Amino acid sequence: MLGIEGLHKRFGSQTVLDGLDLQVARGEIVGLLGPNGCGKSTTLNIVCGLLDADAGQVRIDGEPLSARTASRVGLCPQASALYRDLLPAENLEFFARLYGQGAMQRRKRVDYLMQRFELTAHAGTRVGRLSGGWQQRLNLAVALVHDPQLLVLDEPTAGVDVQARLALWGLIEEMRDGGMTIVLTTHQIQEAERLCSRVALMRSGRVAAVGSVTELLARVPAQAVAVLQTRDEAATTRHAKALGWSVRPHAGQLLCLLPKACSLREVVQALDGGEVSSVSLQPVTLEHAYLELLGQPLEG
Amino acid sequence: MFATLLDQTLAVAQRIWLEQWRQGRGLIFWALFPALMMLLFGLVYAHNDSMRAGLDAMAAGVLMGAALFFSCLGGTVAILVAERERRTLRRLLASPLQPLAYFLGVVLAQSALAAMQVVMLYAIAYAIGARYHGSIALGALIILLSVFAYVGLGFFFGARFARRSEEVVVALSAFGVPLLVLGGTFFPLVLMPQAMQTVAHLNPILYMNEALKAVAAHGAGLTELRAELAFLVVFCILSLGLGVSSYRHLLRLERSA
Repeated sequence: MLGIEGLHKRFGSQTVLDGLDLQVARGEIVGLLGPNGCGKSTTLNIVCGLLDADAGQVRIDGEPLSARTASRVGLCPQASALYRDLLPAENLEFFARLYGQGAMQRRKRVDYLMQRFELTAHAGTRVGRLSGGWQQRLNLAVALVHDPQLLVLDEPTAGVDVQARLALWGLIEEMRDGGMTIVLTTHQIQEAERLCSRVALMRSGRVAAVGSVTELLARVPAQAVAVLQTRDEAATTRHAKALGWSVRPHAGQLLCLLPKACSLREVVQALDGGEVSSVSLQPVTLEHAYLELLGQPLEG
Repeated sequence: MFATLLDQTLAVAQRIWLEQWRQGRGLIFWALFPALMMLLFGLVYAHNDSMRAGLDAMAAGVLMGAALFFSCLGGTVAILVAERERRTLRRLLASPLQPLAYFLGVVLAQSALAAMQVVMLYAIAYAIGARYHGSIALGALIILLSVFAYVGLGFFFGARFARRSEEVVVALSAFGVPLLVLGGTFFPLVLMPQAMQTVAHLNPILYMNEALKAVAAHGAGLTELRAELAFLVVFCILSLGLGVSSYRHLLRLERSA
């Protein structure tokens, strides 16, 4: 569905994309995960035709980007880009009209989206008076107004509360189940783990690793991660290494990759007190995978 | 192709009208300011015997300055700034909306607002005692050229300079009001010192004012206004060109943001 090959983009002297490659199959949800400035949003902007790449190719269904392919892409920007003095249906109607839909077709599409996104209860409320979560729902609905084949979501749940986030995740899952191809960016590990069929871990304008969440987690040589706070990092590191654990310093803590599953009591006993002031045990997550595979934290 | 352009133009214009209608207070202010100016200046002119002769011309000045300048130029700047602040411009860029359709949509929306202001102001002016003496078609042509020129300038300022909505009012007051005074909007040019008159002749608003005043107050025709009309046409083309190129510049900026 979407093929990205050797994408390069510079802004002045700063290289934002440095030979990015990514293939997305029809019906997949692929998440771009990485720290700020790694090129996630720039990639999406190029896919949506908002930006031109300096080099490389983007193809949609094998066709290079053009006005024709642009109509197959729906963009849901990070901030809710909506007309605040208009009603939800009026926003949908306006954008549907820009995509050349006739009056009857527009009305049907608007009604369908209003119902599907449960916006009918807020049909008489101006967008500016809706909560952030409802605005984001409408933001998503507007991206679907022309029934695109590829949906591009830029941090779809950034800045919304937990309840709204869960509701938005449910809607995105419904779209996935309906066969929609989705590319999304996110900072949230949970979001990527729950929604994405594959995750592309990005660093410095490239995809450094890509795979399903299970595949990426399998590349971390650990069954669990012990997070230690210590008064003597060097001594604790030596001790942990002697136990056969891999140690990664991270944000003032030591992350110990445990080669086999064990309980907190076993970890504490193995450390035998020492200079360790606190210990917690975590399952291996995408964050650990990112740290292990790319050698830097996600929030870096 | 043309049908798409037309439909998109109407979609943009209708959206702007709907937003203006919903922002009821804003619409009232667009009406209130020129209406009050017309009343105040009109009553001053009507009250003084020596000034009564200028009443017909004053109505044209208030329309060009207090009404169209702020609604068509200021309103266009405000529309562009709001599109950027709400990030809707990026969404429009990702849609098949043709840039020309957006531009024409704003022109159409502002022209309709201008038409309402013309009707309102001339109704007030008529009630005070002002009369319109010339060709309505010629007056309409001058007003239309002025509206296009103001919208073009609005795109120029909105795309190149104004970044936030707070700046719009300040910038309009700082640059707009002196231009209006120098354009003979509130006082006839003859009241100004010679040096000011020389500077005033560099101000395009003066030509809009003078042309409409000549038609409205003295019934001037096409041949008598050749010079002013030629200037207005050239200025209108320049403004629209400047507006289109500034809008393209804004789109380039927004794409790389």
